[in-house]
Amino acid sequence: MSASIEIAGVSKVYDGGVRAVDAVAMDIRQGEFFSLLGPSGCGKTTTLRMIAGFEIPSAGAIRVDGADITHVPAHKRDMGMVFQNYALFPHRTVAENVAFGLRMRGLDKATIATKVKAALAMVELSGLEERRPAHLSGGQQQRVALARAIVIAPRVLLCDEPLGALDKKLRQQMQFELKQLQKKLGLTLVFVTHDQEEALAMSDRIAVMNGGRVEQIGTPAEIYNQPTTRFVADFIGDTNIFRGERTTTNTMASAIDVGKDLILALPRSPDIQGTGILSVALRPEKICLSPRADAATATATATGSCAHGIVENTNFLGGAVLYRITLEGGHRVLVQQPNAGTSRLFVPGNDVTLDWTPADLVVLKD
Amino acid sequence: MQTTASHSPLHATVRQAAPARTSGRVRHYGRYLYLAINIAILVFLLAPIAVVVVFALNPTPFIQFPPVGVSLRWFEKFFASRDFMQALWFSLEVAVLTTVSATLLGASAALALARGNLPGTRLIVATMLSPLMLPAILTGLALFQTYVLLDVGRPTWGLVAGHTLVTLPYVVRTTLAVLHNFDTRLEEAAQNLGASPLRTFFEVTLPLIKPGVLAGAIFAFIVSFDQFPVSLFLVSPGNETLPVTLFNYLKFDLDGTIGAASVVSIVLAFVVVIGLDRTVGLRSYVKL
Amino acid sequence: MMKALGSLSRRRFLTASASLGIGTIAAPYVARADDPTLRITGWGGKWGEIMKAEIGPAFESEFKCKLQIDSAFPYLPKLQASSRSAPIYDVMHTNSNEQWAAAEMGLIEPKIDPKLVPNLADVYPYAISDKIVGVSIFTSAIGLGMRTDKGYGGISSWKELWDAKYNGVRGGYVIPVNSLGQAFLMMCGTLFGKGQTDLDAAYMALEKLKPIKIVDFTGAMEKMLLSGEVGLCVIHDSGIYRYDGQNQPTDFVSPSEGVLSLEQVLTITPGSKMKELANAYVNYMLRPDVQKRLAETVWYSPANKKVKLDAKYDAKLLTTPEKVSKLIQVDWKWYNERKDEIDQRVNRIFRA
Repeated sequence: MSASIEIAGVSKVYDGGVRAVDAVAMDIRQGEFFSLLGPSGCGKTTTLRMIAGFEIPSAGAIRVDGADITHVPAHKRDMGMVFQNYALFPHRTVAENVAFGLRMRGLDKATIATKVKAALAMVELSGLEERRPAHLSGGQQQRVALARAIVIAPRVLLCDEPLGALDKKLRQQMQFELKQLQKKLGLTLVFVTHDQEEALAMSDRIAVMNGGRVEQIGTPAEIYNQPTTRFVADFIGDTNIFRGERTTTNTMASAIDVGKDLILALPRSPDIQGTGILSVALRPEKICLSPRADAATATATATGSCAHGIVENTNFLGGAVLYRITLEGGHRVLVQQPNAGTSRLFVPGNDVTLDWTPADLVVLKD
Repeated sequence: MQTTASHSPLHATVRQAAPARTSGRVRHYGRYLYLAINIAILVFLLAPIAVVVVFALNPTPFIQFPPVGVSLRWFEKFFASRDFMQALWFSLEVAVLTTVSATLLGASAALALARGNLPGTRLIVATMLSPLMLPAILTGLALFQTYVLLDVGRPTWGLVAGHTLVTLPYVVRTTLAVLHNFDTRLEEAAQNLGASPLRTFFEVTLPLIKPGVLAGAIFAFIVSFDQFPVSLFLVSPGNETLPVTLFNYLKFDLDGTIGAASVVSIVLAFVVVIGLDRTVGLRSYVKL
Repeated sequence: MMKALGSLSRRRFLTASASLGIGTIAAPYVARADDPTLRITGWGGKWGEIMKAEIGPAFESEFKCKLQIDSAFPYLPKLQASSRSAPIYDVMHTNSNEQWAAAEMGLIEPKIDPKLVPNLADVYPYAISDKIVGVSIFTSAIGLGMRTDKGYGGISSWKELWDAKYNGVRGGYVIPVNSLGQAFLMMCGTLFGKGQTDLDAAYMALEKLKPIKIVDFTGAMEKMLLSGEVGLCVIHDSGIYRYDGQNQPTDFVSPSEGVLSLEQVLTITPGSKMKELANAYVNYMLRPDVQKRLAETVWYSPANKKVKLDAKYDAKLLTTPEKVSKLIQVDWKWYNERKDEIDQRVNRIFRA
């Protein structure tokens, strides 16, 4: 039932020349949970609306299971959609909302009743059939919206920031449930969000978008561990980004001089070529923190995988502690350490040593 | 207040000290003031109706206070008068026709204006609302002259057209107001679920703008039913609306029949509003 | 609910009709679609009732035509707005002052041809005097209306109105909008100055009338006199006599200086396509039997000398040359030319 979607070089230019989506290309596989992630204005919602048929692309094509649907009107696309704020029909009951798509498909009353009942049971809303949306909680409305979208057995389920209006706890629960439902039904799901944690938690693959373009497409792990662009590294999670010139020293064959007396050893990788200016990212949790021990780390410093600094402030996160540290040369660095309970917690003013593995450095495209 | 304070330091200190002690009492007085203002507004609004009712029920042929008794003679006279009955039915007929035409035209126009992405929308809205700015008597006279020029006489449809002109702005305004707050995603949701644009309109758009359209329709009915200045020139012999008949009656007979006719008008208008409310469910989801 | 009301109205209507004597008239003439239509204006109230029920239908059946009576004011602006060559009315019936205004604009023919309207030969001279355009078919007498239960004693002069004892119960009109008020203003000039056109004397007299209760509709004055809110006022005789038989403590006074005439005037529009029928209508309205029926219904004095009213009416209305000679006609042409100026002035007097 579920379909694959191919977005081929799609652009959307609005009157006045605003280029909301710029030559976007992506292949969404059948049964995949695919997220469009990016800040507001990045073009993710416009892309979703073009898939739904609410906007017509200025260029390019959208294909579902290989068939071009670029100019098929929205009501003939057979896609389900969960809107931001749900867009439930306020003048209809819960059951009527869920039945709407089935009615439009001309199903008989008995079939509709059965399907509505099953859909509401699936989202655990049995018993609320006769309520009006205004009399439901945010979470319940969200479930009605979901039931309304999936009851028609859509080829694709589109979700536009569906969890944005929920509080954190409910949101996590709904993330879990939505993911479970998607897997159970084998739905192809396109999920728009600006929340990188949500995208990382739920998606099979993520397309990170910025300024109307796709920055990177990959699994959550790829996106997080191997961001290819400076934007992606910065947007996904906390990170330390350094920028400097390619160099070599007598102890390091391949390194980068980021100024202020800090030279970082680059990972051994055939991808890194040329001289010029480079940006590198280093995740805070990839850095190990210990009380300053000059002698032991002298060699490590020379190998470009160690530095000294002073703890500026700490941010206790519960499962981890985030430290802001000023290095001797003046660079400011974020370091995250697991809160193992037994290990010592640093306090502002502590003199510390930071060390890491050069392989954890990710070289970025600008 | 500033000047008082600067002129009298003593006063200033008292003012500063006062709120803590009297805030409770001030709030108390505030409540009474609030109540008093509301009662005053209600009295102001209802007093004319009360006078009319007293006039209608008083048996003497002139307004007398205190009333000397209660009698239905003016109501009898009103209902027995062929002229008044004819006028009452004709007014109702015109009001119903006007309501239908103003509502259809006004709601369609508002939809086109809100959704059509038309150039010069603001100018069109201003034009649509302009009959409200023009003295209605001029609208009536202008239409009368137009009809005379076109040699169509003074047909009922001409009167309805005149009424439609002055009631249209109400429907446009109230419909635009609901459209302004309308979440277009609801229509997208309907289309996404397989509803064609036409189906979407009847299943989603229309039910949701209904409160605004209905409010406009009620305005249209009442404005038409009570319309005098536009009708003045446009009524034809034998087809006079109730307000025009009342006005003409007033010149010869100033008795309680006028009061009775007014009471009947008020009751009828009320019945129509309540009826619309009950049948089409004005209250069910309107948030006004 | 409406059905119940409907049946009530039908029953009441039948009773009312019977009392008006409709039952004695032959079946009303049913106009055919191709019958010519004569468009006229006409008053409402009792006049309108009897015109619609009796006088009008009788005319229709005699002349095989349809009579379309516009009884919705204002007539003059409507006539003015319609085209000269295809006027909205064939015959206009209104008060003399409005007829003069219409004559000034050329909207009506100033004279009626006696050859086409034979009954014109039988009218009192006032009805076709130089103060009249067209023909006056009836007139009312404007004099004083008084309460008889307040011990005011015998009143014989207009000047009684200025007596201080009527302060608070004196009644007059908004002069710019009321014919009676306008006529009274001219009377003031006659009473206190060199004549009708002595406006300065009239203004001074009006100034001295204050305090005075002023109304715009004549009907309102009738009610104020009936309710006792007003004790002595300017009013037309028919406004008092119409309550005849109701035992109201009110009476009409014909002042010794004469009464003002409030004429009901008929004129024909020059562009009328129904000239023949229009003249027939004017002639019809001057017929003794029609005059008698209308006069006795609304207490207007008939213009036709040959009309013999029943004793009760004959005693009160102006039905002899002697009584008619007491009528003072207003020069409306002169008045209309100065209307704006007079309006401004009297507004100032009564605003203060």
